[in-house]
Amino acid sequence: MMTRRSTRSGLALVVPVALLLGACGDQTVDNVQNGYRGTALEQNYKRGALKEKFAQVKIPATLPPAGESPPGPLPWKNVQVLNDISVAEFNRTMIAMSTWVAGTGNCAYCHNLAAFGDDTLPNGKPLYTKLVARRMLQMTRHINGTYTQHVKNTGVTCYTCHQGKPLPNGLWFYTNQTDYLRHYLDRDGARVISTNVAPSNGNRSSVKQTEWTYALMISQSKSLGVNCTYCHNSRQFSSWTQAPPARVTAYHGILMLRDVNQHYLAPLAPVYPAVRLGAMGDAPKAQCVTCHNGAYKPLYGYQMAKDYPALWGRTEWNGVPFPAFQAAPVTAQTPAAAAPAPKATSSTGMN
Amino acid sequence: MLEYQNLFTRVQVRTEPDPGIPIDESTGSRFGTGMFNWLAGKFGDAQIGPIYLGWTGILSLIFGFLAFEIIGLNMWASVGWDPVEFIRQLPWLALEPPPPQYGLRIPPLQQGGWYLLAGFFLTISIFLWWIRVYRRARALQMGSHLPWAFASAIFLYLSFFIQPLLVGSWSEMVPFGLFPHLDWTSAFSIRYGNLYYNPFHALSIVFLYGSAVLFAMHGATILATARLGGEREIEQITDRGTAAERSMLFWRWTMGFNANMESFHRWGWWFAVLTTFTGGIGILLTGTVVDNWYLWGVKHGIVSPYPALNTLTTDQQQLLRGRYQGTAPDSFPTYIVRQAPVVMDSSAMSADSTATDSTAVPMDSAAAAPAASGAMAPTTAPAKPPVPPTGGAPR
Repeated sequence: MMTRRSTRSGLALVVPVALLLGACGDQTVDNVQNGYRGTALEQNYKRGALKEKFAQVKIPATLPPAGESPPGPLPWKNVQVLNDISVAEFNRTMIAMSTWVAGTGNCAYCHNLAAFGDDTLPNGKPLYTKLVARRMLQMTRHINGTYTQHVKNTGVTCYTCHQGKPLPNGLWFYTNQTDYLRHYLDRDGARVISTNVAPSNGNRSSVKQTEWTYALMISQSKSLGVNCTYCHNSRQFSSWTQAPPARVTAYHGILMLRDVNQHYLAPLAPVYPAVRLGAMGDAPKAQCVTCHNGAYKPLYGYQMAKDYPALWGRTEWNGVPFPAFQAAPVTAQTPAAAAPAPKATSSTGMN
Repeated sequence: MLEYQNLFTRVQVRTEPDPGIPIDESTGSRFGTGMFNWLAGKFGDAQIGPIYLGWTGILSLIFGFLAFEIIGLNMWASVGWDPVEFIRQLPWLALEPPPPQYGLRIPPLQQGGWYLLAGFFLTISIFLWWIRVYRRARALQMGSHLPWAFASAIFLYLSFFIQPLLVGSWSEMVPFGLFPHLDWTSAFSIRYGNLYYNPFHALSIVFLYGSAVLFAMHGATILATARLGGEREIEQITDRGTAAERSMLFWRWTMGFNANMESFHRWGWWFAVLTTFTGGIGILLTGTVVDNWYLWGVKHGIVSPYPALNTLTTDQQQLLRGRYQGTAPDSFPTYIVRQAPVVMDSSAMSADSTATDSTAVPMDSAAAAPAASGAMAPTTAPAKPPVPPTGGAPR
């Protein structure tokens, strides 16, 4: 009798506890430590979740290297950006771009098929897609050339953001919901924490401005699929010495986005038709998720751009000369052969 | 006197409601004669009412209602008076204080004016309620422990309004809203360099958690001795072998020291009062005396040092610091080369350019600039590859 009763009461205890724990899920969590022990600087991933997301990333096949180009000067009439690469490389880049942005072989998305050099349709209407694409090529070269602190030697291609679609993810417009993006990715500073114990007029940041910074940080965290401690020791968010090195990269990402939004995306507003503009008549702008798409590195770090010299605006990748630059002597070296390049020399010692 | 003692019994007595002792009715009288409620009897005394409001109570309710209405209607207006959205988004809706640019100047109603009005009415309501609490305690010839404990809570509430006045901006006040006021809390902590290093925040938490422990000890002790009549503590206090003595003996045996029936309530009172009092001091010191509590902690040796996670030099950190909110836009780090805002070839958008052959535009984009309309700045974007950089230094 006693045994039965204790078994019963034991059961009565076990069942609710099991139900309680069951509600927590049976997922195994993998922890990746990225800071000093005991400081909870770690990333938590459900086991297998990263593998699943990784499998979802689709990367278009690299086009075969460009062949021989016809001799003589470049035959272009209205080429304003890609006028420093060979004819064959130019055509190869154009085909790749159609796959990345508009659908393979869809030249008509940007071009007047009757006259490829025109910026207008046969009926005289401007081809805004071509004007935008031209500016985007300049932007890509600017990012790959100037923001190596952020894109390193991986660089970006059209596909990094576009992923085969004309409109990338995460485009944003001015609304009262995007104040935080407007303040930081468009013009202003994110810093709110003082560097001195005592208050001073040097820092008059409001708690409200702190909330905007917070919102920006959370949008970054969601864009990269990481938590705060990927870049910060949360006991002092402003401290650089206690921050994991990823924060330096992320910081240059903010600078990059501000530059890109101010000087490449926002000024395109007069080019777009009204349907592409926001409620306040502003052009679509980019944020972290536009390239990152939930991954800590876009496309999980796949080095796509190294096979497309036209996107770099320079003559080498990682110290190895690109084959197709008009200026550089054309060699038989293929991008594949260029892959085992020497390790990148440290850029400016920022890392 | 037995009628006031909460005997552990499932029997609920129904009789004439007890009006209580006579009071001075010059400031108002009690409403109703009282009624009985079975459910109330399960949790406490089954008798409900009569209630004394007086003019302070009535005015307090009116001002409280005004504040509540201003907050609620502003929230409703913020979703375009949509009742469904109002319910759905209620936890995220807020009545926000004026934005930072108003400082301590009077803002328009839509820019935080309603917030100040609601805060003003709410404060009046709370003060009137305090007066009521004080007068009721006196009317029953009690001590004033209750009003002073309430005053401690009001001090914390007020410090959230006084601190913004001290730092000179309405915007620092706490928004009215469920999640918004929680968001404010974490933003406040981040802005002032982590409030956990604020010693008064620490004290407040000590007293808060201590209050919970003391309350648990007290409740458990009295309930555990209820079978011996432990809830009738006053009657038992002087006798030997009573529930009261056993409850004290229990703590003496388990931890060597025991409070007594009277002192224990002083412990509870002080812990509760000091929770909000120290908390209020912590708020008032924040932004006025200390702007970064973490660095205050470093200065006073309460922060454990960890090894650096990177090799940034002091100069590099300085470069990475960026600038504060609201400072001049050109105070940005200078090592990023700025690009002039340009739209390539947007002259094609203007009416007359459609008549000309745009393919005739020279290849070099710099040469294309004169063709652009006057409103468009000439491009400075690198059309040619820059000088091959060494390792890609962004100089």
